[in-house]
Amino acid sequence: MSHALHRHGTVAQLQNDYTFYARTSRYVNREGCGPKLRKILSILLEEKSLVNFGSSHSGKSYEAGLNPEEYATTLDKAYGVAACFSDKETIRSILAKLKEADTGISIVISGLIDEVVKIAKDLGLKPHTAFLSLGVHGKKALLPEDRVLQVTTMCGHGQVATRLTKAVMDRVKEGKMTPEAGAHLLAQPCPCGIFNTRRCATILEAYREEARAGSAS
Amino acid sequence: MRIDPEECGGCLECIDFCPMGCILERDVGVAIDEDDCVECGVCLRAGVCPTDALYMPEESMRWPRVIRAQFSDPGVQHPGMNQGGRGTEEMKTNDVTGRFRRGEYGMALEFGRPGIGTRLTEIEKVLKVLAAMDVELERNNPVFLLVEDPRTGRLKPEVLQEKVLSAILEFKIREAQLENVVRALQPVLAEIDTVVSWGLATRFAEDGTLPVRQRLEALGVSARPNAKINMGMGRPIVER
Repeated sequence: MSHALHRHGTVAQLQNDYTFYARTSRYVNREGCGPKLRKILSILLEEKSLVNFGSSHSGKSYEAGLNPEEYATTLDKAYGVAACFSDKETIRSILAKLKEADTGISIVISGLIDEVVKIAKDLGLKPHTAFLSLGVHGKKALLPEDRVLQVTTMCGHGQVATRLTKAVMDRVKEGKMTPEAGAHLLAQPCPCGIFNTRRCATILEAYREEARAGSAS
Repeated sequence: MRIDPEECGGCLECIDFCPMGCILERDVGVAIDEDDCVECGVCLRAGVCPTDALYMPEESMRWPRVIRAQFSDPGVQHPGMNQGGRGTEEMKTNDVTGRFRRGEYGMALEFGRPGIGTRLTEIEKVLKVLAAMDVELERNNPVFLLVEDPRTGRLKPEVLQEKVLSAILEFKIREAQLENVVRALQPVLAEIDTVVSWGLATRFAEDGTLPVRQRLEALGVSARPNAKINMGMGRPIVER
């Protein structure tokens, strides 16, 4: 999941894309982490704007049918929980609750730096470490168009195929599939729960609207 | 992965799901280009094959081909790492491990991402450059397990032609090394036969800023506006 810092998009395109991780360290606090991770999961599930959650050990995300109660039973000795949200105010709410809960588990937010740092300051939190993206290098001619990258880079493990994304975009454009159904289909290969279906549906809808206006290629 | 030609009904449903685009339509049905396949298992897990023609053959789990699944399927753990996903905690737990301290930067080069995949040969090209510099390769990382000689950057020869969906090369540098390391990496990254997503881990300054962004800007490798941020909520916290 190290790829979440590289989620593709401009500042405007990333306004609705925040990912959350609670992570145990195998060196420090994985032993006995179950109750703490379950507490964190319960805080996430309280949020109405939770988009998706899971982790690679679960084998599938909420969007792919992961049952929250069953998932909670798998969190003993787990390396963590991941989730995604489509607004920064939910991130603020979660961090406030986690500050109160004081679980001692590492919390990581992936999103627009300035927004996340501002929320931290507002809540009296002191961000510790940043993992900055220095972009894509090498043979960039191999990459698909920006719009496809906005979708495929939302999977932390690269499981969402360029070809599937293009096929779904075409189906949405032709009116054979709704943007929401397209986003749901594209989320299926991503097991860790950070594929943001709400953002994806927005991207697909914009593509459809541009096509209708005659400007999409 | 492989497709049983006797079972394949030629519906083509699996083709779009392959992240490497290596399921190919044939005169009758489809077949997987096994040299390009990274054994991610996405096609199988998609559950779209109505005749169960997709399967993972025993050879996929034999050395050295087995590293394809280890680096490409998040459900397969790297041996000895006790860590899911890409096999690294990177900076997600830095508030409790102190892996990256003040005065240091962590670097992560994710080869093959987004969406292209990589042969291990491409990683070796960069490793050889780094070996000539005074950088600290991360040993608790699955790529390091494939290094034959850290002094030269050579990988084990039998893994070189293996292809994976992505692999993260991690190393640590001192702050003062930033300019030299970036300038050494830029030409070799420009020449490799895949793409690399480049990340840099840094501690926040006491005033909550990230001074490295200005140094990166001057080097022509501007940081993107989004990042992963460890919120400093782990306990006991490592402040140094």
